[in-house]
Amino acid sequence: MSTATQAPSLIEELVLLVVEDDGGIAFTAGTPGFGMAVIGGCLVELNLVGAIDADLDGIRVLDATPGRGTALDLVLSEVAAGPEARVEQWVVRLFPHAQAIIRAALASLIERGILAQSERRFLWVLKERSYPMRDDRELKEAKRRIYDTLMSDQIPSPHDTVLLGLALAGGLLEAFLSKAEISRLEDRIREAGGIDLIVRGVEAALRQDQLVRAQAMLYPF
Amino acid sequence: METTRENTDSAVVLAPAGRLDFAAAAAFQDIIEKTIADAASAKLAVVIDCSGLDYLSSAGLRSFLIGARSAQTAGVKLKVCALQKSVAEVFDVSGFSRILPPLSDRAAALAAL
Repeated sequence: MSTATQAPSLIEELVLLVVEDDGGIAFTAGTPGFGMAVIGGCLVELNLVGAIDADLDGIRVLDATPGRGTALDLVLSEVAAGPEARVEQWVVRLFPHAQAIIRAALASLIERGILAQSERRFLWVLKERSYPMRDDRELKEAKRRIYDTLMSDQIPSPHDTVLLGLALAGGLLEAFLSKAEISRLEDRIREAGGIDLIVRGVEAALRQDQLVRAQAMLYPF
Repeated sequence: METTRENTDSAVVLAPAGRLDFAAAAAFQDIIEKTIADAASAKLAVVIDCSGLDYLSSAGLRSFLIGARSAQTAGVKLKVCALQKSVAEVFDVSGFSRILPPLSDRAAALAAL
């Protein structure tokens, strides 16, 4: 069994954002936005390890070799087998896998001793809610890192700008920040969040999804 | 991708040329980080002249972000200039232009220091 000495992946951090202080799961976890953010997280992770690269025209597969974990292997094999398409089109196409990827991330967090499941609640095992990184530096919990990013005027790290951007796109900020705080920090959120082409693709996919839903409401027949 | 480096009185000028994609990103990031460290010691600024850069991917953009963050931490002024249309589009769409607004050419970047 692996242990909590390995920092959570980007996907696991997104899942941790919807775990509330009392162990419940925030309602945003059931929205299309969260699912698309998780798919975006998979694509960013594949980009970080050099399996894919992305630009404004689409996603390029650089190395389709499996062995990067079930979720990433699933996403990578579909992208490798599919036609060339823009990031937002891939996010929509891969969205049906989101729930399985979220469940796998929760299971991994429990297996690694970061969360414990008690009936229908997910409780933090690590009291300080931080986890050591590979170089032995302590990595703060995702919510705290997002909050620190928003409170500072420092340029965010690539990981933190992606985390903030996907959290915003997935409606996850509402899970731990009040509406008043989000409104007050709006400029900083826009400046520091999602400085990444894949995150922008997730945002475009969400806008497309919202448009389709709005049209379905207005023209049901 | 090739990156040339030259010094002026006020800045170290980096000029990447070619495609900045995943294959080239790590090496370019190393060059930026080393240049920023040298510039900090010499109390110079850094200008990245992108006139020869004709492609920028998601991984390449990340090297610019890491460079901007390193320059801020080191207290080194950093300017980017002379973006080709396709690279400028990546800066704009990603929001990186808000972090580091690009300037029209090298002269404008040096004048802005």
